[in-house]
Amino acid sequence: MLNVHDGRPGVTGGLPVPGAPLRAPRPWIAWGRYRGVLLSAASLLIAFAIWQVLSTFIFNPFLIPPPLEVIRTAIPMVMSGEIFADVAISMTRVLVGFVSGSLIGIVLGVLLGRIRILHDLLDPILELLRYLSPTAMIPIAVIWFGIGEMSKYFLIFWGTFFIVLVNTTAGVWRAPIARQRAAECLGANRLEIFVMVVIPSAVPYIVTGMRVAMASSFMSIIPAEILAADSGIGYLLQKSSLLLQTNRIFVALLTICILGFVVDRMFRFLVERVLARYMSFVSVT
Amino acid sequence: MRVSNLRKTYDGAHQPYVALDGVDVEITDGEFFCLLGPSGCGKSTLLNILAGFEPATSGSVTSDGVAVTGAGRDRVMFFQDAGSALFPWLTVEENVRFGLRVRGVPRRGWTSIIDTYLRMVDLDPHRNKFPAQLSGGMRQRLQIARALAVEPDILLMDEPFGALDALTRRRMHSVLLAIWQRTGKTVVFVTHDIAEAILLADRIGMMSVGPRSTIAKIFEVGLSRPRDLTDQKVAHLFHEIEAMLEPDVVRSEEHTAAAE
Repeated sequence: MLNVHDGRPGVTGGLPVPGAPLRAPRPWIAWGRYRGVLLSAASLLIAFAIWQVLSTFIFNPFLIPPPLEVIRTAIPMVMSGEIFADVAISMTRVLVGFVSGSLIGIVLGVLLGRIRILHDLLDPILELLRYLSPTAMIPIAVIWFGIGEMSKYFLIFWGTFFIVLVNTTAGVWRAPIARQRAAECLGANRLEIFVMVVIPSAVPYIVTGMRVAMASSFMSIIPAEILAADSGIGYLLQKSSLLLQTNRIFVALLTICILGFVVDRMFRFLVERVLARYMSFVSVT
Repeated sequence: MRVSNLRKTYDGAHQPYVALDGVDVEITDGEFFCLLGPSGCGKSTLLNILAGFEPATSGSVTSDGVAVTGAGRDRVMFFQDAGSALFPWLTVEENVRFGLRVRGVPRRGWTSIIDTYLRMVDLDPHRNKFPAQLSGGMRQRLQIARALAVEPDILLMDEPFGALDALTRRRMHSVLLAIWQRTGKTVVFVTHDIAEAILLADRIGMMSVGPRSTIAKIFEVGLSRPRDLTDQKVAHLFHEIEAMLEPDVVRSEEHTAAAE
């Protein structure tokens, strides 16, 4: 804990009392609660400054354009709305694939976690299929679905589905036996135990799976769009590369960073708002 | 509850492991009965069978003359790890309400039942907190309230206070005894702590160490409550049980070491 003094006078009216213990020296700025934000901002500013200096004086500014140059390129792209159009297209793809992958992953994961025979039957297949990353599936997805939206939905779905499935199964599997038995004693039937105890117990695992899947969706949408799309951030990267527009490549890369960060924060915010009560793990031992 | 000639075996690698063999005991209504024994003597297994969580391999368990085949409305189990036994996403009040809902208690009675039992365990001021915000002792008191609210006849308690510090534990003993005396429930209490057994129980069933454990001897405590460990008679009983238990504790340790 950071030692912060609010500077208000104490009971003595601020007069020094002989023999009173020495106060901790007052920090010269009262930055207590802003500490994290300030340090993050400082970290970014310093990084940008170093990047600016290195790009201007040491590296070839064509290969690594300095940040001010990147911003200059970004302004017209932002003003014309060009970048937002690409962001919207990529985000829609991520969202459709992520939501459908999560839903089906949760449903199937819950069944697999509960029905032993289904788990034993499907586990070997899933155990093999999960090594096929979305990127590995791009070529066949293009043949199956063309370069339209469907192929991107499919690829994001593919990446999300396995992660959410595996986590959901683990969560259902690990619902404490004592909790299920406690519910059983109180009079809950099998369905009630399942719906009112097992599934809520699995929520932290499901949410963790979805967060990881969200990050992985951001990883896989880019190669999917580079190889099989005519719009979106990935396509912007690919097009700029072909035209040797390194400035625009850096704008696209920065956009991905910001987008990923913002979406993850929004996800966390939503979880804290909606699912907070399900997220605590309590254990005495 | 009546247990006769109970036997429980588990499938082993080469031959079935006989955990319990020839357990015979009758627990009378309103009695406070302790199952005492070193770890690995099958006392939790016996309790799980009484609760109906696990079936007996042979022999019979009846409650009020009816054979136990699963969890029943007359019995509620109380677990050591309150953290996993409670519903962490429900508040104190909602944890108690859960039982009323799944038991089909009419909705208009809920408020007064919840109030009664939360007051009984002094959790009334904390009714809107979540289990994670409670201390270990408070969580166990919540388990008591949740169990009592569905009005069972029998409380089955599996080393309920084993994870608490000594002072909280003593307080829980008096809370439990007060509630037991007030409500007249039957309590079957599993422990490996001789002192705890003597302080609480009417009768103590001493279990022999496994395999083939059974209730080797039943002690009638027959002392007035509240009991004090420094009391002559209590101390005498303590030493008597300790002396009987010692060879078993040594065997239990050897058994565990051999298994590892």
